Amino acid sequence: MNQQPVQPPRSIFTTLGLLLLPIILLAGVIAVFLNTGGGLNLEAPVPVETLTIERYVLKDNLIEIYVQNTSPQEITLAQAIINAAVWPIEVSPNATIPRLGRAVVHINYPWSYGEAYAVTLFSANSIPFNLEIPVAFETQEPNSKSFWSFALIGLYVGVIPVFLGIFWFPILRTLGKKWMTFLMAVTAGLLVFLGLDTIAEAFDQAANVPGAFQGIGLIGIGAVSTFLLLDAISKRQADTGRDEAAKRLSLAFMIATGIGIHNLGEGLAIGASYNIGEISLGTFLVVGFIIQNITEGLGIIAPVLRDRPSLGSLALMGLVGGAPAILGAWIGGFAPSPTLAVLFLAIGAGAIFQVVYEVAKLIQKDTVKQPTPGMVFSGVLAGMLLLWVTGLLIK
Amino acid sequence: MKSLTRRDFLKLGGVALAGTAGGALLTQQNTLAAEPGMKHGSAAIQMQEHNGGLVPGTFGEVNHEKNGFNPTDILYDFDYGKVSTLPNGQTLREYEIVVINKDIEIVPGILFAAWTYNGRIPGPTLRATEGDRIRIRLVNGSNHPHTMHFHGFHPSEMDGVPGTGPGGSVAPGDSFTYEFDAEPFGLHLYHCHVFPLARHIAKGLYGTFIVDPKQGRPLVDREMVMVMSGFDVDFDDANDFYAVNAIPFHYQNHPIQIKVGEKIRIYLVNILEYDLLNSFHLHANFFHYYPTGTSLTPAEFTDTIIQGQAQRGILEFTYKYPGMYMFHAHITEFAELGWNGMFEVLA
Repeated sequence: MNQQPVQPPRSIFTTLGLLLLPIILLAGVIAVFLNTGGGLNLEAPVPVETLTIERYVLKDNLIEIYVQNTSPQEITLAQAIINAAVWPIEVSPNATIPRLGRAVVHINYPWSYGEAYAVTLFSANSIPFNLEIPVAFETQEPNSKSFWSFALIGLYVGVIPVFLGIFWFPILRTLGKKWMTFLMAVTAGLLVFLGLDTIAEAFDQAANVPGAFQGIGLIGIGAVSTFLLLDAISKRQADTGRDEAAKRLSLAFMIATGIGIHNLGEGLAIGASYNIGEISLGTFLVVGFIIQNITEGLGIIAPVLRDRPSLGSLALMGLVGGAPAILGAWIGGFAPSPTLAVLFLAIGAGAIFQVVYEVAKLIQKDTVKQPTPGMVFSGVLAGMLLLWVTGLLIK
Repeated sequence: MKSLTRRDFLKLGGVALAGTAGGALLTQQNTLAAEPGMKHGSAAIQMQEHNGGLVPGTFGEVNHEKNGFNPTDILYDFDYGKVSTLPNGQTLREYEIVVINKDIEIVPGILFAAWTYNGRIPGPTLRATEGDRIRIRLVNGSNHPHTMHFHGFHPSEMDGVPGTGPGGSVAPGDSFTYEFDAEPFGLHLYHCHVFPLARHIAKGLYGTFIVDPKQGRPLVDREMVMVMSGFDVDFDDANDFYAVNAIPFHYQNHPIQIKVGEKIRIYLVNILEYDLLNSFHLHANFFHYYPTGTSLTPAEFTDTIIQGQAQRGILEFTYKYPGMYMFHAHITEFAELGWNGMFEVLA
């Protein structure tokens, strides 16, 4: 029997003290630096000011601008100019906004329906902050009517096309095994494309996130943690030793989840763009989403084509894949937040890439028995091209 | 003692604001947030009431005391200098003008880091009679070289332009005395001519120079000076605010009181930078216009005139009816950005 060298028992206070020692020293270093400036002249000639304009609300003869102070110090808002005219402002709760504090700027302004406005808010340091209102119209208040209309957009964009894709199930089941592998590869291609699209959208949105919230960092946190979490879940399920059909079904659900979160992101984008009047300029965008999203239904059912999933399962998959678009439209329409959008998009991207990984494993398992390298290559490419070409037609 | 600059002031922040120095500004900014505007019968408020509050303008008041000048006083403030007679019988007018950097609150809550003649914008309105000897000692109390460049007749070395001798660029801490005869009669101006020129002028270094004809102009009841300019507060070489006598909307918030039948003469100078033109439009009335004031015969009877950069002219008019009358740039964008005022004509 091995004799473990016995450590002399250390008192809990010593342990705690040793843990805290570097932190106490750190506080000392910071204090010294703040008091002496560390020999550097750190006085900026002009204070750095950033103001995040979160959203605006247009009511009868009234423009309300929701802002957050994301600079290192407080900001005082002094004046506003709208389309080359000075307009009196009221800021609630106070014109002086503390760091990370929020305020609403109220401007009585006789705006006209359908016209464009450029608003400049000046801080007391003469720093201008610009807001563009591309198309002016009364902001939808969250009421039952607007709630329903956003739900309807989500339904058209997410739920209906995903279900339409699922309707291919009966015909696709009659395909041979080789073609089923091809379809799995198509799904992988679709997902890679959607994943890239989601990541790109996340980076776009990250530019609107207040600096303090570090949009790019959020993308990393959201995407990586989602990927690893889903991976852990799928490994655990694999360990439970269920049959292959059950595993394929759970894969289909995971695809549905990934696509669902992606559609949540689309919903957010649609809701937010509706708010700034982009959607009202045309139903074209919605039609585009419908066409593109029908392929998502196809992707969801690909793993279970050889099985006999219940109608209930298929319906649930459709809902998981499509319904988040409704939720996204609500959030984007009523409480748009770039920070939240970035987080959702990152989670979506993480989920999608994890699902790609799962699909790849499944394809590999199939092709070990019956190698079809041409099918995999052409399937993945076809999947990506499918989305690229539909995008070409509608964007 | 080192004077407090705008940046210093801002850096002091909470400390200064708690003290007396910043007290007034703080009060105003809070007023801006809590209680919009003054309620004592200003024209803006009257307009607000008639339009349900939908009128361009500013609420609250800039700190005239801290600015060191009030546009209402500048209207009537003519500086005839220290007058004496030279051995040859010529009238001598002596002035001392100091250039200082100064933070001026041009609209409530916004300080503009201005360069000024004698701490005010526009600089003092210098007034002389044709043929007088003018002697102006310019002291540069700022941290940039500056000059005074006069429009009118004078020798090259008195032109105040770099390359014309010591008067062409007066270094910080230095001084120079410009001396010349006031001619021709008319409405002129002076401004700094150090380069970059547009910036030196736009920062506030300009003023009016009136040379009266020997026999004088016909008597009127009231004479006023109005200097039209703009303010580029964010330094993008485009004006953010426009004004007469420096404070946007001042005469909208504080109408100029005159009486029915009074003969009014306005010395109107345009020293706007970054925009090509400026204009003056008088409501419900017409005026006689004397371009550059170099003739005693009016060139035009109109209600709107246009002036390019550094153009100026004299307006004469009388109101027939009592009431509130607007005057403003009919480049209406400028009007809504501050160049708007009111005459309150009393019976």
